[in-house]
Amino acid sequence: MSRLSTQALTLAYEDRTVVADLDLAVPDGEVTVIVGPNACGKSTTLRALGRLLKPKSGSVLLDGASLATLPTKRIAQQIGLLPQTPVAPEAITVADLVSRGRQPHQHWWQQWSDEDERAVSEAMTRTDVADLAERSVDELSGGQRQRVWIAMALAQETELLLLDEPTTYLDISHQVEVLDLVRQLADTPFKGDKGDKGRTVVVVLHDLNQAARYADHLVAMKSGRVVAAGPPSEVVTADLVREVFGLDCVVVPDPVTGSPLVVPGAPWKAS
Amino acid sequence: MTTTSVPVRPAGYSVLRAGPARFLVHRRAVAVASVLVLLLAASCVAYLCVGEAFVPPGEVVKVLLGQSSPDELVVGELRLPRLVVGLLVGLAFGVAGALIQTVARNPLASPDVIGISQGASALTVAAMTFGITSYSVLPYLSVAGGLLAAALVYLFAWRGGLHATRFVLIGIGFAIALRSVTTLFMTKGDYLVAQQAQIWMTGSLNGRGWPETEVLAPVLLLLVPAIAWAARAQRTVSLDDDTATALGVRLGRVRLGLVALGVVLAAVATGAAGPVDFVALLAPQIARRMTRTAQIPLVSSALTGAVIVVLADLLARRLFSPTELPVGVLTAAVGAPYLIWLIIRSRTVGGTS
Repeated sequence: MSRLSTQALTLAYEDRTVVADLDLAVPDGEVTVIVGPNACGKSTTLRALGRLLKPKSGSVLLDGASLATLPTKRIAQQIGLLPQTPVAPEAITVADLVSRGRQPHQHWWQQWSDEDERAVSEAMTRTDVADLAERSVDELSGGQRQRVWIAMALAQETELLLLDEPTTYLDISHQVEVLDLVRQLADTPFKGDKGDKGRTVVVVLHDLNQAARYADHLVAMKSGRVVAAGPPSEVVTADLVREVFGLDCVVVPDPVTGSPLVVPGAPWKAS
Repeated sequence: MTTTSVPVRPAGYSVLRAGPARFLVHRRAVAVASVLVLLLAASCVAYLCVGEAFVPPGEVVKVLLGQSSPDELVVGELRLPRLVVGLLVGLAFGVAGALIQTVARNPLASPDVIGISQGASALTVAAMTFGITSYSVLPYLSVAGGLLAAALVYLFAWRGGLHATRFVLIGIGFAIALRSVTTLFMTKGDYLVAQQAQIWMTGSLNGRGWPETEVLAPVLLLLVPAIAWAARAQRTVSLDDDTATALGVRLGRVRLGLVALGVVLAAVATGAAGPVDFVALLAPQIARRMTRTAQIPLVSSALTGAVIVVLADLLARRLFSPTELPVGVLTAAVGAPYLIWLIIRSRTVGGTS
C-alpha cells in the first residue's frame, strides 16, 4: 500500500529538466531511502514529494489526490519535511522552534492546546533535546541543532516524514543516532493507528552503506531516473553500483546486520 | 521510553485562555510593552507641558480629562492636535517597519530605504510643482505614490517567488531613482514651491493637526484586525521558505499581505507628516532587542515608534527655539549613526544579524 506516489513526474528548474517521467510508490510504514550520485535528482524528487517544487508535468499523489489540488495546510497535517539546510530565526530558543512544528494544527484563536504541549514534549524527549529547551538555537553544536530540527518535524506529528540528507555535517555517532531514530519511527506504531503501522519515512542519503543498512525500500536514481527499487538485499549488487556510481566494488554481507555492504575496489593497486 | 516526557512550552511564553480560545503570550514582550505605554504617557505629558510657555503637568492632565483650565487654549488647541498626529505617525511607522523587516528578513529594510517614502515624495512634489498645494489633496497623493512605488518594487522583485535580498536591493534602486525624480521636479518648479516641498520632505509636524488625524485615526483603527493577524503570521514567515512551506504556510500570500499592510501604514503616515526618516528602521530593532523575541514584536515596535516621534518632535520644537526644526532632522540625527553601526556590526558578525 502506498499513500504517497508519483505519476509520470517531470521536474525542472527553469528550462533544465532534472527528473523525467518518474513513477515512484512510497510503501506505507516503511523506511524508503533514495540514493544516487550527486545531481541525480534525489533531493529534487524529495522536494516535489513535499510540494516544495511544482511539477513541470505529471503529479504527486497523496491518497490518490494530486498535491497541487490539496490545501497546503491539509498536506502539512499529513506530510512533514525537513529541508537540507533549514534556517532558524535569530536568537530563537529550542522549545520555541520545536513548537513551531505545531503550526498546521493550530488556528489564530487556538495557538496552544494540551495536544500541542504533549506533541512538543514527546518530540523533544524522543530526540533527546528536552534539556536544551531554554537554550538559544544559535549556540548549539551542529549535532544538537540537527536533532532540534528533527524534533520540530516530529512535533508536526505527520504520518509521512521526508528528510533531506539529515546526516550531513554530523559525525559518525550522531549519524547513527539520527538513523536509529528514523528506524524507530517506522518500527513503533504511529499514534492512533489501529494496524500498528509505524510512520512512513523517506530519506535522501549520500552514504550507500548506511542506506542499505537502514532502508526497507531502496531507490537508486541516476540522471533523473530510477535505476532500481526494492529491498536493499536485491538492489545493492556490484553491477548496480557500477551502473549507478561508475565504481568497481565488492558487495559483502555486513558483519553486524547482514545487509549488503559495499567495499570499493582498489584501482590504485590494479595496474 | 518515550512516555516519560516533561511538559514544555515555548520558553518565555504563557498561555492566555479566553473561553475556548487560547493565545500564546510572550511574558517579557508584555512587560516591555507595559513599560513603553508608561514611557509614552510620560512623554506625551512632557510634550504638552513644554513650549513657549511652560504649563504645569497638573494643568495638562486637567485639560486631557476635559476639565476647565486656564491653559486650555495652549494645551488643547495648539499642542494636543500636533501631538496626536505625531503619536499616530509613530505607531504607524513602527508597525510598518516591523512588517517590512520581517518579510525582507533584513534589519536594513524599512519603508524609507526600499522606496516607499521616496515614491510618496516624488508624487507629492510633482503635484506641488503643478500647482496642487491644498493640504486636503496632498496626503492622498503621497499615499498613492507610496503604494505605486511599492507595487513597482514588488513587481520587479518577483520572479516565480519573492526573494528577500532581491526585494531589498531593487527597493534601494527604486529609492535612488525616485529621489532623483523628486530633485528634478524641485529644480524645475517655482522657488517657493521648492521650499515648501523641501520642508515636507524632511518630515515635519509643524502645522499638522485634526485634519490629518481625521484621516490617520480611522485607517489605523480599521487595520487593527489585520495587524493582529500579522502578529501571528510573523511566526512562520521568520523561518526559511522551505520550512515554512512544509508547515503549511501559503508563503506567497502571507508575504504579500504583510508587505501590503506595511506599505499602507507607511504611506498613510508619510501622507500625514512627510517621510519622517529612520523611525520605521529604528523602532522594530530597538523593540526586538528589548523583548528578546525570535520575531519582531509588533506592539512594542509601534509603541517605540510613537515614543521616538513624540520625543524627537519635542526636541525639534525646543532645541533651537524660537526656530523650529522639522522632526525628520532629529530622527535622522539619531537614525543615521545607528544605520552605520548596523552595517558595520552585520559585517563583523558574518551577516547573521
